[in-house]
Amino acid sequence: MTAALHESPPKSVRGILMAFFLLVSVAVVGQVRLTGTVKDAQGNGIPGITVTVKNTSFATATDVNGAYTLNAGLQPGRYTVHFSGVGFRAAEEPLQVTAAAADYVLGASLERSSKDLDEVIVTGTTQGTTRKQLGSYVSTVSASDLNKGVAANALQALQGKTAGAQIVQNNGDPAGGISVRLRGISSISSSSEPLYIVDGVIVNNATNRVTNTASGYDGNNFVGTIGQNRMTDINPADIDRIEVLNGAAAAAIYGSRANAGVIQIFTKRGKTGAPQINFSTNFMVSKLRKSVPVNQSPVKFGGSPDVFTQDLISTVGTPPALPTNTTNVTRYDYNDYIFRTATGTDNNLSVSGGNDLTKYYVSASYFKNQGIIKNTDYQRYSLRANIDQTINKWISFTAGINYVNSAANEKPDGNSFFSPMNSINIIGNFHNIWERDALGNLKAVGERGRVNPVSIIEDFKQREQTSRVLASAGIKLKPTKNLTINYTVGVDNYSQTGTTFLPPYAYNVNTAFWGGAFPINDSLNGYVSAAADNFYQINHDLTANYEAKLSENLVSVTQVGYSLQYEKNHYIMAQGRGLAPVVQTVAGASTILTPADSRSEMSISGAYLQQTFRVANKLFLTGAVRMDGSSVFGKDQRNQIYTKLSGSYVLSDAKFWNIDSWNLFKLRAAYGQSGNMTGIGAYDRFNSYSTNAYLGKTALVSSTQQANVNVKPERQEEVEFGTDMAFLNSRINFTFNYYIKKVNDLLIARTTAPTTGFSSLLDNFGSLENKGFEIVINATPVRSKDFSWDLTAIYNHNRNKAVKIGQALTLLSTNAGAPVAIIEGQPIGVFYGTFFARDNSGAEVKTATGIPLIEKGVQNSVLSYAPQRDGNGVPSGTTLRKVLGNPNPKYTASLVNEFSYKRLGLRVQLDAVQGVDVWNADWRTRQGVGNGKVAEQEQMGLLPRGYINGVYAIEEWRIDDGSFVKLREISLSYNTGPLGKAFKGLTISASGRNLISWDHYKGYDPEVNSGGQSTILRGIDFGSVPIPASFSVGVSAKF
Amino acid sequence: MTINKYFSSTWMLASLVVFAACKKDYTNPNQPTTAEVFANERAATAVAGGLQRVYSLGAGGSLYATIDANGFTTNELILRNAGNTGELQLSTGGTAVDATNTVMANIWTKSNKIIYDADNVIDFAAAMQDGTYASGMIGFASIYKALSIGNMSMFWEKIPDSTGANVGFIDRMDGFRKAIKVLDFGIGKVTASAPNSDVLRRLPSEVNIINTLYALKARYAIFSGDNAGALAAAEMVDLSKTSTIAHNALGLNAVYESATSTNNVFQPVDSTLGLPVSLAPDLNDQRIPFYIGINPTIAPRYRIKGFFASSSAPVPLYLPGEVMLIKAEALARLDRLPEALDALNAVRTKTPAQDVYGVGAGLPAFASADKNEILTEIYRQRCIELFMSGLKLEDMRRFGRPAEERKRNFFPYPFSERDNNGNTPADPAN
Repeated sequence: MTAALHESPPKSVRGILMAFFLLVSVAVVGQVRLTGTVKDAQGNGIPGITVTVKNTSFATATDVNGAYTLNAGLQPGRYTVHFSGVGFRAAEEPLQVTAAAADYVLGASLERSSKDLDEVIVTGTTQGTTRKQLGSYVSTVSASDLNKGVAANALQALQGKTAGAQIVQNNGDPAGGISVRLRGISSISSSSEPLYIVDGVIVNNATNRVTNTASGYDGNNFVGTIGQNRMTDINPADIDRIEVLNGAAAAAIYGSRANAGVIQIFTKRGKTGAPQINFSTNFMVSKLRKSVPVNQSPVKFGGSPDVFTQDLISTVGTPPALPTNTTNVTRYDYNDYIFRTATGTDNNLSVSGGNDLTKYYVSASYFKNQGIIKNTDYQRYSLRANIDQTINKWISFTAGINYVNSAANEKPDGNSFFSPMNSINIIGNFHNIWERDALGNLKAVGERGRVNPVSIIEDFKQREQTSRVLASAGIKLKPTKNLTINYTVGVDNYSQTGTTFLPPYAYNVNTAFWGGAFPINDSLNGYVSAAADNFYQINHDLTANYEAKLSENLVSVTQVGYSLQYEKNHYIMAQGRGLAPVVQTVAGASTILTPADSRSEMSISGAYLQQTFRVANKLFLTGAVRMDGSSVFGKDQRNQIYTKLSGSYVLSDAKFWNIDSWNLFKLRAAYGQSGNMTGIGAYDRFNSYSTNAYLGKTALVSSTQQANVNVKPERQEEVEFGTDMAFLNSRINFTFNYYIKKVNDLLIARTTAPTTGFSSLLDNFGSLENKGFEIVINATPVRSKDFSWDLTAIYNHNRNKAVKIGQALTLLSTNAGAPVAIIEGQPIGVFYGTFFARDNSGAEVKTATGIPLIEKGVQNSVLSYAPQRDGNGVPSGTTLRKVLGNPNPKYTASLVNEFSYKRLGLRVQLDAVQGVDVWNADWRTRQGVGNGKVAEQEQMGLLPRGYINGVYAIEEWRIDDGSFVKLREISLSYNTGPLGKAFKGLTISASGRNLISWDHYKGYDPEVNSGGQSTILRGIDFGSVPIPASFSVGVSAKF
Repeated sequence: MTINKYFSSTWMLASLVVFAACKKDYTNPNQPTTAEVFANERAATAVAGGLQRVYSLGAGGSLYATIDANGFTTNELILRNAGNTGELQLSTGGTAVDATNTVMANIWTKSNKIIYDADNVIDFAAAMQDGTYASGMIGFASIYKALSIGNMSMFWEKIPDSTGANVGFIDRMDGFRKAIKVLDFGIGKVTASAPNSDVLRRLPSEVNIINTLYALKARYAIFSGDNAGALAAAEMVDLSKTSTIAHNALGLNAVYESATSTNNVFQPVDSTLGLPVSLAPDLNDQRIPFYIGINPTIAPRYRIKGFFASSSAPVPLYLPGEVMLIKAEALARLDRLPEALDALNAVRTKTPAQDVYGVGAGLPAFASADKNEILTEIYRQRCIELFMSGLKLEDMRRFGRPAEERKRNFFPYPFSERDNNGNTPADPAN
């Protein structure tokens, strides 16, 4: 039975359907037609208000004029009709249905709500609750806030709009990966990406390496998690709203996988009424926001660039010395070559509507955007259908299906010297890279076998495609007045394929860059790969909710639930080198390289019980307990219990509260635990041997990492205190959260003494802690008939540190040379390394010729050292190391100002990330190879000869200030209102994204990360494509 | 009706929970576990073959790292790019080399890894019924275990006594003796029952197991001062046989891959091979064109050649010349000078055609009756004959060369060891 589940899921679906049809044959009741208009205090109709007949499944929403019609099968009796919507305080009206009448008119008047207290929050419950009842902070971002910038995907659109989140686009490619950190990182070894749920279905957000496959690509070093992440598949135009749960205190109900928080996305659904057609089209233009200045020195050191390219740090002769003679050269700016002005288009068409029993939303979209790197682009087709069907008074079901097909033309990612960015960073800018020989072949770039950027832009072909289906079906039963049962099944299935083709070079290229060196070795020259990742996931969620009114002032809500998730992944990759001319497939390789074939399966199941008490609608208490088990952990550690407790009290609803200008004061506190059930790979707890083809035989090699079969999931404990306040009739709203989030039993691949036979041990060690606060201010400084000004400010402050990890220093060897460290008591992922010797006044200690020196002395411990000078004042002793920088920002903030004048709207969003350091590997490389401005100074004699060579090894030289304030989004829109019979509304808009950055960063853009979506490699700039500045003009019409 | 609904709902709920009961044990189809590997002779043999892979492949392998570290420290090599931090430290030498050095950490880490897995193989084979199969596994694994112990003993004053948690340390001379014990055990098994064809076809066939065991025994005996033992072992080596680490397109020659083909890490210092003027190679020495390439147009002029000239070039596990010079040295130290001189001249007069690898000086014989002169000439011949073999630092110390000729004597223990093993000895001053 248990095995059957995984092999034939349809069987389980059949079971549901059978049960379902059994149940349909019940209740036959009278049809009632209910109509009315919902108005605000000024008497204007409010669109989008949900109208629900309580304790039944009948519901609808108001149209643009605030009117609604609801046909419900109701037996005669007393009912309550509930009116609710975002920004308004919910209201209830009684309804007496008699056998005599079929038509009823019921209107309502809603007050604008303070802080959206009565807004329904679905996340964390099945039935939904109101914000008022929540003991923890949950933020909601609505579609209107999401779709005003030029966002290519849902996560980009969310940047700066939710408190406690740091959302970073790690790469400026059109589908560049995006990482989301809610209240800092929540792991070291595993992903810190939140759990994503779309319409109740867990959605995979993996970063699969179907391109950038080459094994020599990152050597033995740790490269991070690079490439597209799969949330890019979700079309932002389909999103109705996003709810964000920052930590365990809020997310305990998702216990098993919620360590990094939860982001729940709700897509648009149909509403009763005439079909509504929405069409929008946008035209986008992107360009490099800021380039870097290049060396303009007329001379280089040493001889011709063809025989001596790396002139700043290469020695000649015996004994080896830096040459001081110079050669005249022509300088180029290769940025002009690899970058371009890119265009794109985003088109969406949706039809929605329905009657009282059936509602639908159907959409189609086509998005295409070019990258600012030549010959890169990304396109996505998406189709979606959402259906809500009411069967009768107590049964309804929903179904949704989303098909996505995306394709990207890429270039190799950073982290390798054959990516567009790295290729221009690793050569002096004095080579005529476009020059060809008589046969039309490109020429070698200097003597070091570097890849010519022209080969990368013109000849490399790297492409990936994804075909994905997200499907969900749910049934909701209300067998009695107070009991609701929900069942949802969701499937996420995709196939992601990629091909990489690095054609054989016609010139000397390093074998490490898949060249054939010189003389060219045909059996090594060129690289090709084809890879596919097939992912399948099914999840089942069953919940029952029982609400009981225990007394006039005490209501109890009890909820039980069970969930099951199963996932299966198969990654397969073929690769080869030494390519035949023209052929672009692996079959054309003369040397077939070791393929990959990796398969995994895992399952997670859990059950929970949650109890809420509402006391006089002012005091709310919730407690929950949950048990989960995951197949990836050891048998004895498999089942984990998580608890949650939260409460809130609305002081301003108390009888004694009589401050008119202060109309809301709510206090809340929450505690919760959650786990990390997917914290390690499916089989990571076993000590295993990897297989390799070696000299025509099989070689088995034991892993460098030792495993522990009894490893257990990380456990997060979070305490959160907060308050919500509103003043001046809710013209000013204020929210404050303070939290302490601690992840215990931290899974660390801890460095072990090599004499154990292993380099690291993956086990539970110590904790990490995030402490911080969030402030959200919403204000409406001006609100008049024609003009209004709304303002939202968000401030997030987070401090992260490693606690009791039992090891003074864990230093990771990274691809970018970044000395990323985990140090007791320090933030995770700090840069730890060598630094400049300084005297007491802080000035650099230099040699007689003016070259700065590395600090030396006595290193007492990881964080303590004593500099030392010899008789000549020169640093002596061992090379010292200290914490050089921190890639975790001191704070992030955003400020949104929205102005509307009649039908004209202007929205301006500024995002700030401050107090953050970046490991600027590229900047140093540019000086070392001679295309940077420091190199220019040395070549022009403004710096002593040997300056760059002298400071090159000092790691502090690569630390850069990554703080910035960006004009993240600006949009101007004009809404015509109804235009004749055809248009219900027409909106014309012009917007921009990332247009300006105020920073002191020495590279292109401080907001990149070459470690991609990696948890621990943050703030590393090693060949990532900078985030473009984008402009868009668009039209959106409603019919 | 209400009853009916309750019943239906309960029925649904129950059926869901039952079907959703969940499987939690999945086996890994990708990789065998340790227990599975050492339950099967084929898998265990593949681990033995894997030792050579770990030893030889990539810039992180022992082969590359020992040539790299030894070459910079003894002035055989020059640095091509200061961006290679580990090599920059080594080429600067002295206190610039610290416990973060990645090249040294690679030697340390790979050596211990190989010892750990070699022990697994040897323990498994020792318990096998089939002695002719087991002897092949033991012989092969012993080569890489001994090389790993020996390599550590060349670079560090003290070396780990075993593998495991908080291991103790022994003097490096005891390290060489330990390597000899490992080799003796292997020699004993292989000579008692010659490896059968089943085990040999599963192991890299380019390795001549018995000759390599004897050659390495001679090497570590001479290093540890056991001249008679070195002489006896050297006599056992058949110099007409090759024994190499093979390479192909799936397993590139590591020095070629990282240094020769890139011209970005190291190149030979020049045709003096870094020897002082008094010991510089004879202009007619035919080993210089064997080991050093010339690029007349693109800097640097002197290029890596020898056993690292192509991606598939095999690298000998020992050279006949080394065995001959071990004999010469042992004889000289045993004060059997005429015999020593003969053995030395056998190397000096060997032509490329007379050597299985083409390494031949083709020089006239050397004449001297002075022990010190003979020993110095042996040192000089070793430096030339064994260029870029990773052995020169040990030779410099054994032959008492002045400290100025090298950039460091011994190396600091990697931080990964010191931070996690309280028994790690103090670092040497230089």
